[in-house]
Amino acid sequence: MNSPDDLESELRALGEALAVPEPQPSDVAHTVRARLEALRGGSGVAEPSGDADRRDGARPGDVLPGDTRRGSSGPGRRSRRRPRWRWVGAGVAVVVAVLAGLTPQGQAAVGHILRFAGIEVHIGEQPGPLPSGVPSPLPGERRVTLDEAHRMVKFPFSVPTALGEPDDVRVGDGGRVVSLFWPGLRLDAYHGLLRPAWRKDLGGPFPEQVVVGTSEGWWISSPHQVTYLPSDGGERVMPRRAEPTLIWQRGLTGYRLEGAADVAEARRLAESVR
Amino acid sequence: MLVTRYSAVAHRTAALLGAGDEAEDAVQEAFVKAFRFLSGFRRDAAFKPWLLRIVANETHDLTRSRGRRADLVLRIGVEPETRAPDDPEGVAIAGDRRTRLLDAVRALPERERQAVVCRYFLQLSEAETAEVLGWPLGTVKSRTFRGLGKLRKEVGHELS
Repeated sequence: MNSPDDLESELRALGEALAVPEPQPSDVAHTVRARLEALRGGSGVAEPSGDADRRDGARPGDVLPGDTRRGSSGPGRRSRRRPRWRWVGAGVAVVVAVLAGLTPQGQAAVGHILRFAGIEVHIGEQPGPLPSGVPSPLPGERRVTLDEAHRMVKFPFSVPTALGEPDDVRVGDGGRVVSLFWPGLRLDAYHGLLRPAWRKDLGGPFPEQVVVGTSEGWWISSPHQVTYLPSDGGERVMPRRAEPTLIWQRGLTGYRLEGAADVAEARRLAESVR
Repeated sequence: MLVTRYSAVAHRTAALLGAGDEAEDAVQEAFVKAFRFLSGFRRDAAFKPWLLRIVANETHDLTRSRGRRADLVLRIGVEPETRAPDDPEGVAIAGDRRTRLLDAVRALPERERQAVVCRYFLQLSEAETAEVLGWPLGTVKSRTFRGLGKLRKEVGHELS
């Protein structure tokens, strides 16, 4: 009884017997919607209504690898509504999660988390007025020369050529972070893409997705609260007020540039980091 | 919403094409892309194969980025009921044969395996398979044929 039909029906039956984990469709829908909203906030994405302008000849091939691809992001830009945030490889990860569950109450108080390049941005949760006063230093922060900094940190970093030599250079947290200062500007380069190094809290608007060179970045256009998360998981540094900030990454180094006048200026400076 | 309607088949496609425990990631990414590029979707075309093609691409991408072959990590969840319940030996034999068949599918060259997975595990038509995998129809036919031939050689003589 070895006719093709037997094998084919046997294969179909086998396929039906295979267990495939399937998350709740409503959870999937929720996460997808959150990600689309995040994208729409930043880059003018077509509405998922299906009524958008349809171009003749456009085919599924348009959505092939290498085309709409993450010119920016590596393999790790996935998100999931789960506690275990997995970072595939060490690439850029943008993760947007909907907090507060699926209840109507939860949705009313919904907040978003954007995880990108070692930074967690909590949107819609700004806890009261922004901190004021003198910011406290990072753990073990030391003032060094640029050459010393290059020797002390565990990762490659570059100085924006558009800015030249920084006025002040500090290395903190056992060489995880180097902070460069110019009048009104602060650039932190850090090795912390697998574990968040910073937490930012802002009331809104949602950060704007931008292109920095050939990679992805996010622009936070308003002052917000930033908290350093030490690498040993120890006590957090007191939150401080941060000026508008551009975050991006190059290789495995994360950068945050604080204090640029606008996104264009921030991008210009960021793109001069080579 | 489209997501709820197609979530199950999309997860199934990603898992069976080798996304493993990253099927969720692949599916989520595929839905996001699908919505972003709905404008590239022809109204006269069927939505399911179009979506599944994106899922297949995401899965391919994901497995390629992991730098390894898309291994089929699956387990048989439902025991076959080809024998009467009072025939435990027969059930065991049937179960064993399924395991061997699954192993044989796993061992197929990747493209033949994809063809077999789409045609039989996902029960797509030849035309749908062609669209999902982005192959010409003739290629679907020939790879399915070759895959079936190998499976038959591997386990066929044991089929009773």
